[in-house]
Amino acid sequence: MKKMSKIYTALIFAFLFAPIVILLVFSFNASKSLSVFSGFSFKWYRELLRDGETLISLKNTLILAFSASIISTVMGTAAAVGMHKLRNRYLRAAMDSVTNIPMINPDIITGISLMLMFVFVGSRLGRATSLGFGTMLIAHITFCLPYVILQVLPKLQQMDKSLPEAAMDLGCTPMRAFLRAELPEILPGIITGMIMAFTLSLDDFVISYFTQGNNFQTLPIRIYSMTKKTVTPKMYALATLIFFTILALLLASNFIGDEDTRRLREERQKRRGKAAQPKKRRRELSEKTKRRIVYSALGVAAAGALLFALIPPQPQVLNVYNWGEYISDGSEDSLDTIAAFEDWYQETYGQRIQVNYATFTSNEDMYAKLKSGAVSYDVIIPSDYMIARMREENMLLPLDYGNIPNYENIPDNFRNLYYDENNEYTVPYTYGVVGVIYNANAVDEADAEGWDLLWNKKYAGQILQFNNNRDAFGTAMYKLGIDVNTADKADWDRALAELKDQNPLVKSYVMDEIYNMMESGEAAAAAYYAGDYFTMLDAQADNVDLQFYYPERTNYFVDAMCIPSCCQSKELAEIFINYMLSEEPAVANAEYIYYASPNRLVYENEDYIDEMGEEAMDILYQGQDKFQENYNAYAYRSLDPETLDYVNSLWENLKIN
Amino acid sequence: MKKVIVPPQRVQPHERVAPVPYMVWAVLFTVVPLLFIAYYALTDNQFHFTFDNITRFFTATSTMEAADGTQKVIHTYLLIFWRSFKLALISTAVCLLMGYPIAYIIARASPKAQSTMITLIMIPMWMNFLIRTYAWMTILQDTGILNGILSALHLGTVKIIGTEGAVVVGMVYDFLPYMILPIYSVMAKMDTRLLEAARDLGCNSLGVLRRVIFPLSLPGVFSGITMVLVPSISTFYISQKLGNGKFYLIGDAIEGQYVANNLHFAAAIAFILMVALLLSMAVFQRLANRRSYGGA
Amino acid sequence: MQKIIELKHITKSFDGGEPVLKDVSLDVYDNEFLTLLGPSGCGKTTILRIIGGFEQPDEGDVLFLGERINDIPAHKRNVNTVFQRYALFPHLNVFENIAFPLREKHVPKDEIEQKVHELLEMVALKGFEHRSVTRLSGGQQQRVAIARALISRPRVLLLDEPLGALDLKLRKDMQQELKNIQKQTGITFIFVTHDQEEALSMSDTIVVMSEGKIHQIGSPTDIYNEPSNAFVADFIGESNILDGTMVRDRVVNFSGHTFDCVDEGFGENTPVDVVVRPEDVDIVPVEKGMLRGVVTSVTFMGVHYEIIVDIGGFKWMIQTTDFVAEGETIGLFIEPDAIHVMPRSEYSGMFGDYSSFSNELDELSVVESEDDE
Repeated sequence: MKKMSKIYTALIFAFLFAPIVILLVFSFNASKSLSVFSGFSFKWYRELLRDGETLISLKNTLILAFSASIISTVMGTAAAVGMHKLRNRYLRAAMDSVTNIPMINPDIITGISLMLMFVFVGSRLGRATSLGFGTMLIAHITFCLPYVILQVLPKLQQMDKSLPEAAMDLGCTPMRAFLRAELPEILPGIITGMIMAFTLSLDDFVISYFTQGNNFQTLPIRIYSMTKKTVTPKMYALATLIFFTILALLLASNFIGDEDTRRLREERQKRRGKAAQPKKRRRELSEKTKRRIVYSALGVAAAGALLFALIPPQPQVLNVYNWGEYISDGSEDSLDTIAAFEDWYQETYGQRIQVNYATFTSNEDMYAKLKSGAVSYDVIIPSDYMIARMREENMLLPLDYGNIPNYENIPDNFRNLYYDENNEYTVPYTYGVVGVIYNANAVDEADAEGWDLLWNKKYAGQILQFNNNRDAFGTAMYKLGIDVNTADKADWDRALAELKDQNPLVKSYVMDEIYNMMESGEAAAAAYYAGDYFTMLDAQADNVDLQFYYPERTNYFVDAMCIPSCCQSKELAEIFINYMLSEEPAVANAEYIYYASPNRLVYENEDYIDEMGEEAMDILYQGQDKFQENYNAYAYRSLDPETLDYVNSLWENLKIN
Repeated sequence: MKKVIVPPQRVQPHERVAPVPYMVWAVLFTVVPLLFIAYYALTDNQFHFTFDNITRFFTATSTMEAADGTQKVIHTYLLIFWRSFKLALISTAVCLLMGYPIAYIIARASPKAQSTMITLIMIPMWMNFLIRTYAWMTILQDTGILNGILSALHLGTVKIIGTEGAVVVGMVYDFLPYMILPIYSVMAKMDTRLLEAARDLGCNSLGVLRRVIFPLSLPGVFSGITMVLVPSISTFYISQKLGNGKFYLIGDAIEGQYVANNLHFAAAIAFILMVALLLSMAVFQRLANRRSYGGA
Repeated sequence: MQKIIELKHITKSFDGGEPVLKDVSLDVYDNEFLTLLGPSGCGKTTILRIIGGFEQPDEGDVLFLGERINDIPAHKRNVNTVFQRYALFPHLNVFENIAFPLREKHVPKDEIEQKVHELLEMVALKGFEHRSVTRLSGGQQQRVAIARALISRPRVLLLDEPLGALDLKLRKDMQQELKNIQKQTGITFIFVTHDQEEALSMSDTIVVMSEGKIHQIGSPTDIYNEPSNAFVADFIGESNILDGTMVRDRVVNFSGHTFDCVDEGFGENTPVDVVVRPEDVDIVPVEKGMLRGVVTSVTFMGVHYEIIVDIGGFKWMIQTTDFVAEGETIGLFIEPDAIHVMPRSEYSGMFGDYSSFSNELDELSVVESEDDE
């Protein structure tokens, strides 16, 4: 029995720590892959320390967790003290139920409900931004509060009721009596509650996702928005560092605690001249635990105070909203674009500027945030069809090209495209074409042609499909030769039927997961954006041979910089856009993102051409001269709301099959 | 004997004021937002009252290919609901089966071992759950660590990722601590004399477990079930990553509608989910109270 | 003697329920050891809490040295309490628990040191300064609680069933010790208990209460020998309480026999309650007895036997050192001064018959009542 329970315990802990071991190991991976280990390296730790944006989001996460846990602990403890003495039965019952609501409501409901309220109230008050640090803090406090209350209440109930009376009897005012007699008794509950609140706040993604604003991005949201590109081992490195920090804190407090009890025991033995009584051991140890908790709480609080002290005063602010992993961020000795801009701005204008850089997962995600009217950004980088939609809805401001002289480096090919036919609103950032990536070791060369490969029953269970509706439907429509922008429901139905036919063959609907699956040979064929093929190529496993081709009809896209109508500082935004077009940042970004650049300063730059290599240049810039023609034929355009809704329901239909 | 009146404790001024901030807070940020969900659920884009969103939830249909190749029409959201509840219930059951014994083992270990093990259980919760889920992909994928180990042992390979099993593993992994901790804390407080008394009265180990420990631990079990069931119903990240995007759950539906900017319909789904959960929790809680206090 | 505390027509109820105190008035004199005695729920603890400042009376006044203190909060009253379960602060050691009131008043360190040591000596806990209070025995905790309550030299010390949790031997010792401390310090003690023996052995004055009312205030001997009604007679010690008729002054009739007694002033042919204590009945041969009866049970109690005698259907309890056998018919003799006559009250006929008597039952009910209030 004893042995069995030991084995069982070991198994459970193995289960709990298996993924942690994995991320620990892969944080030392030499390549970017999260599934193929290709050698030991500290590279990702160096990268992490150089990644200012991730560090900022880490700092934000900690600031939020500290503020939320401290405020909810104070308010929750006070609430528990009051609820404990509440004599009105109905009020008490009401408070108990309200306290339970955030616990039996899924976090997605808590998040959405708060978001709806903030947005509604914000718009009625005419505020440009109602979501931000404040709303996130409110949300976090709200879901932390019940946990604190439910930890403190039982401690109050267990407490000897006459303790506070005794203190008053001995000369304390009621308030002093609470502080001196009651508080020490319920302290363990308070601290447990606070640690729980901190843990929950730290780990929360869903509620933050719905209530986040423009100038405050937390780590979980940053990680989630990496899902178009890939989650890098940098994040594993970060998790590993967090793990060891906690471990060290716990060990330290353990050590202090042990030291303490040992001294106590020795003293007692000396006085008694005999061994310690074993009878009251339990009590002793629980006190030790209490002490340990206090030490770790103090340590954590000190670290928190330090962080608060480190927040710099607020200079001028520019809010930028971009795709995840869509800017050169200083990793692998690249340029840290945001930091470089901040430096350049200070040199040029003699003033400090702070760029709040936030990331989104999809065009739709970004649109939903902006449409809610609850956030405010100065520069956004959406895709073409979304730009068209936003223009129709008057969500963009015309640019003053006089402030963007570098625009002259954008060739005519990339001007006057359908989404901005008169060149008023946009400056292109990247462009690309969707192609098919396949593993030549698994796919016959003869089959590697057109869209048919993705419908080829030979490769059943090895095919990947986009996990977003526009791109997934796109593959089917290009295959069938249907206009991807049709408003004809019958056409969409045909595309759905095609996707349903494909469904049994599909291994997985993916966004960023494609990297792992292609690199490791899990999947044999997938459609994705051309540039990303090279990222996978770099990290492919030894037995994988990734190849790439363009189908005849396929998606052409442009992502462009624009200024949304909620912009607070248009001039700054234009300065930023202009900077992004200048040679150094533009080359760095193109090298980092691996997508084609519409900027002459980039694709004519010798270093860039060298760095990319012949194959990449070929694939990325193939048919650049005929770009406008292809683009006009195959690019996505904005769909009307009814069609959008219809496509969305077809997508759900596909996904539940 | 005469009924003794127990004098209630005197309420001090600070105790009267103390809960006020929380009361205000709870009304503003817990109760009112729920009203907003209802408000959005029952209005259209122009905030005109309508039942359309609710009706749409119950009537929207899709076609689905049955096993025999025929097409059949199903109610989209009812099916999504049913699948989500099913997966959540399975995960909860697995959590209970895995978590109960370990809570028992921990509660009966030495105090030092207890605090160490509880700390160990909490540590993974400090690591971001998105990252943890990602790590599971590395383990479970077809050419992943698990199959690597299995084939090294000549045990063949298993296909897990993309199956219900993988989604359940992900949920169980993320929510297991929420099952273990409440059960453990009830068990740790259990009076060991009761166990001795039961033994004294002729129970064997199994009998003690079944007739004394289990009934006494029920409050912990019930709160564990609540704490696992609720988040697992609404998760969307785990199903996306470990289900190969092939499990479309309520969370995905809500998020999908939110991203498609159908705020009102997203609110309607959330509203219905909320009502369904509140109802089932009310029933469950009633059941739980009867079991815990009425004697099993 | 100076009145230190006066309660005037106090009425108190909780949350609109039945009043737990009904028009209670009581004077407490300086320097005395006063005991509030009564069964659970009689309101004695409520009186203590009103004096301590933890409750406010609904009606009536509380005076301290002649001044009304109804509105003065607990922490400003020169009165301290020893709580039922001591209410020691578990997060503080022995020294800090005792020093608590002084720290609250910001007394200089060396003075605290000195005073605490004085008190530790008084309660015989020297050397325990740094012990955690959770690792003390019940008796030791009790002493810490007393020392803590005494350190700021209150005029009055309130003790709420402080000995309830101790075992019998320890309890006897502590009774003695408390009495000594009271004499030594000259502080007025107001002591709450439901244990009549404890009350009799320690008090200068006993206040007998039930159902929110005071039945009798007096010295232990008064209360024992001259109970004011059947309730008091039954509650204090063992007693046979009989229906009787006061024939005239100094002559009373009960159990079918007319006795001489020492009581007067009841008028002629008045129905009364008569109390005869079990130890005041002598067993004599049948022919010499004023009453005769059959022994129905004999219990050996150590110093004496406790026998139950059936006299005309009424069961008497008699304590005797002579052995008699069960079933034997005996005669009883009662001295005039062993008979105590009381006026009829609402309690008449409720107590004093031993037909269902059993030692065990008695003990059980004591245990039960300890946890209430």
